[in-house]
This record gives sequence, C-alpha cells and structure tokens, in this order.
Amino acid sequence: MHGRRGRCPGWCVVSASTRAPDPARQQLTVDWQSCDGHGLCAEILPELVHLDEWHFPVVQRAVPKELERLARAAVVACPKLALKITKP
Amino acid sequence: MSGVRVAAGQGTDVWAHEGPRLLADLEHGPGLAVHRRRSIGRQPWPTSGRELAELLEAVDLRGRGGAAFPLARKVRTAAKARGRPVVVVNAAEGEPASSKDSTLMLLKPHLVLDGAQLVAQAIGADTIHVVVPGERPSVQAGVRTAMADRADADPVSMSLRQAECRFVAGESSAVLELLSGRPNLPVTTSRPSAVSGLGGRPTVLSNAETYAQAALLARDGVDVYCSVGTPAEPGTRLLTIDGDGDRPTVLEVAHGTRLAPLLAAADADADNGLLLGGYHGTWLPPAAVADLTVSAMAMIEAGAAIGAGVMLPLRAGVCPIRRTAVVVGYLAGESANRCGPCKFGLPALAHAVRDLALGAVRSSARIVQLMDAVERRGACHHPDGTTRSIRSMLRECPLEVEMHLSGSCTAAAVAVPAGAW
Repeated sequence: MHGRRGRCPGWCVVSASTRAPDPARQQLTVDWQSCDGHGLCAEILPELVHLDEWHFPVVQRAVPKELERLARAAVVACPKLALKITKP
Repeated sequence: MSGVRVAAGQGTDVWAHEGPRLLADLEHGPGLAVHRRRSIGRQPWPTSGRELAELLEAVDLRGRGGAAFPLARKVRTAAKARGRPVVVVNAAEGEPASSKDSTLMLLKPHLVLDGAQLVAQAIGADTIHVVVPGERPSVQAGVRTAMADRADADPVSMSLRQAECRFVAGESSAVLELLSGRPNLPVTTSRPSAVSGLGGRPTVLSNAETYAQAALLARDGVDVYCSVGTPAEPGTRLLTIDGDGDRPTVLEVAHGTRLAPLLAAADADADNGLLLGGYHGTWLPPAAVADLTVSAMAMIEAGAAIGAGVMLPLRAGVCPIRRTAVVVGYLAGESANRCGPCKFGLPALAHAVRDLALGAVRSSARIVQLMDAVERRGACHHPDGTTRSIRSMLRECPLEVEMHLSGSCTAAAVAVPAGAW
C-alpha cells in the first residue's frame, strides 16, 4: 500500500509520525546513511525529487502546500525509511 | 624557539615548540606535580553552568576542532537540558596532517583533564569520556598514566577510549557513536548533542585544546588570559605546520601573530602558497600568505578558515593541482561508504581531479558537476570539506589549472613526495 499515491490507510507507524503537519514550512530531508537509492521517492514525487547519476535522490527541500499529500506518500513509500518531512 | 621531540607514533615524530601558555615549561615534563605547582593560587572554579558560560563568553572561547562553535553555548544548553550531562573530550584527530591535540595530550595532559573537570563540575556531569586517536598509541598510554595519577583527586570519573584509525573517526557524531558501542562512523543527527547526545543525555563535546584553553582561563582569570592576543581574539592557538610531510611542527602562538615568520621557524616555505585548515581546507596563494596573521577573522577575510589550525605550505616545485589530486584521492578512500553521494561521488571526483592533474582533460566542467552533486548530501561534512579544497584550488590557482588543461604544466614532472601529505 505504501507504493501507491496517498493510499496509506494511516494506521501505520510511519504515517502517524508524519501526520498533523505544520501548514507553514515543511521540509523534505534525506537521512543519507539510511538511503540506499531505491528511487521510489522520485517515482512518487518527481516534482520535488530527481535522481542523480548514482540513483540517489536530489530533493528540493521546501514542500509547497499542494504537494504535501504526495510528499507524505513518498515518505511512507521509502523502503529504508530514509525520507523525512521535518519542520525547521 | 626551542623544539621538543614528541614521539606520537605512526613513525612520524612531531616537533613541539615552547609556547606562552599551553605549551609553557615543556622542559619540566607532563607530570602532575609540576602541573599542580603551577596551579597554586589559581582562581576558584565557577560552580554553575551559568557562571562558567559567563567566564567563557568574556573571552569568546570557541571550539578548536575546526567548527569554532562557542563553548559557552554548549555549556549553557547542556546545563539547562533535561537529564544528567556528560562531558566528552575529543582528541581523536582524524586529520593526518594535524598533530596539535596529540601533542597537547602528550605534553600537557593535565591541562586538558583540568578543563574537562572544570566543565563537568560546573554543569553537574557524572562522567567524562576522553577519546584519543587510534593512529597514535603513545597518546593513549600517556593519558592513561595521567588519569591514574590524578584519579584520587578528581570528583568526576573519567574513562578513556581509542578511536579507529580513519579520517572521519574524529567527527563529533562518530565519536558519540563509538562511545555508544556502535561503529566509529558519522551519523545524521537531528538535535545538537548539547541537548541530546550520548545515550540521549545532554553532552558537551569539544576538542582537547578547547578544554585546555578553558582550564587556563579558569586558572588565570580573564585579565591574564587576555594579556596576549588581540582584543577581538584574546589568547593563543595551537597550529600544526607541516612543510614537507615528514616533520610536523606544533606551535602555540598568540592571535594576531604574523604567519610568514612562523612558517620559517617550522622550516617551511611561505613562497608557494599553502593549504590552510588541513585536507578539508582552503588553498591560499603566496600573496595572501605574505601578510596574513593568525586570526580566525583575518582568515575568513582571506576567504579561508583556520579550522583546526593546520598549515600545509607547498614546497617549491610541487604543483598544487597534483597535490590536491593526492589529497582528494586520500579523502575519497576515507569515506565511511555509508552515504550514497559520498560513497560514489568522492571516488568519481578523485578520478576527475586526477585526470586534471595528469593533463588528461580539456575542461574542468566534470569536476564542478561532481562537486555540485556531492555537497551537503551526507550525514557529515566530509564531502563538503573535500569540495572546499578543490573549489579553492580552482579559484586560487587559475594559472596552474589552465596549464593542466592545455597540457603544459612543467611541474607535473616533479614527483610528489611520499610524505604524509
């Protein structure tokens, strides 16, 4: 279910920790030592994530309001739990 | 200046010169009795985190490991944070070109340990961890002896750990990982260690020299501490100068001292430019070195950072591009191989810089592209430090870069010495 856009039912641990976002300033960050370059984030959220020549994500940090849903979907899709949404 | 030979291990001896404060009275040795005699009539130590922070702020004492973070801020934060604080003394110089912390630990261990006790007692810490470099076993032996000598008198218990032999082992998050029983490698941290560090406890982690400076400040008081140096940057600083890679010299100098005569005292040339700040440092052209003073601010104005005080002057006839290629090659090999962009990007970058050094490419575009691809993309600053030295090379040595791109560098024929740097 985590691979589909926004389909996470919301009961899992990951989405619980990323729910209730601050509408003002959300940031997408990568936990680099966890990331293995699976690339699901770039599949789900090409607006903010593209892959470099070694298939590791290059993320645009600031998440615009209209992309928040997709950003959360990308976060829960990461098989290494390496993508995070944080508030500065 | 007189030199004292310090057997730091790893085959390379370090030469330490007598200095005004930290490295004063070297002929009396590192013993506790001598140290105690010097401390007679000292000022009483601050008894709370707030008092200590005010004392440190009076001289703006900043970390001497490279990041120059104000120690007072760490002390204040840790004293206020939830949980029993811990103090960590980081003497694990991963940087092979730096020898100042090892030298200090061997020649004046009690100053460093005094500083750690001072901070620990002020913020109410119950443990002090001292981390020494794996490359230099003599440091561990020296500090162990020093700790045993003073164990009865110290209210806060101290423990000793040896870091692994690698460049990133001395990075602060890597040191905390080591003390937590995990691999001695950098990790992503979301909160400052002064809030949540070792085992989630507030942790004051700083460089060995920082603690020694704090001990001097507490012993002598602000007025005496400020009697050397400049009004903006009082006190002294340790430097490692390594001219030809086989005779590192450690000096203690007052802030504001001119750099060129110091290089001469360490048998190094000032005429060919130098790599300031170590392997993660910045190239400075000869013109900038000529009237530079030892001062964090002056170096920032010159477009560089003093870092951990490492100066690597270039020898006559050695090409800075080839030098950088050797350094970047080493740094790429020192990646912890955990973060993708560093694991794959640094070897690619080392390859690109080597191609430039060998005159095999006609454009530096690939180097720039790779630098953009690795910067700020890792748990620690290893990629950023690596690109810093390459960017400064491209900026400060345009003539040499041009000669390599056109295949006409004559210095390319000069073999790079096999020394440590």
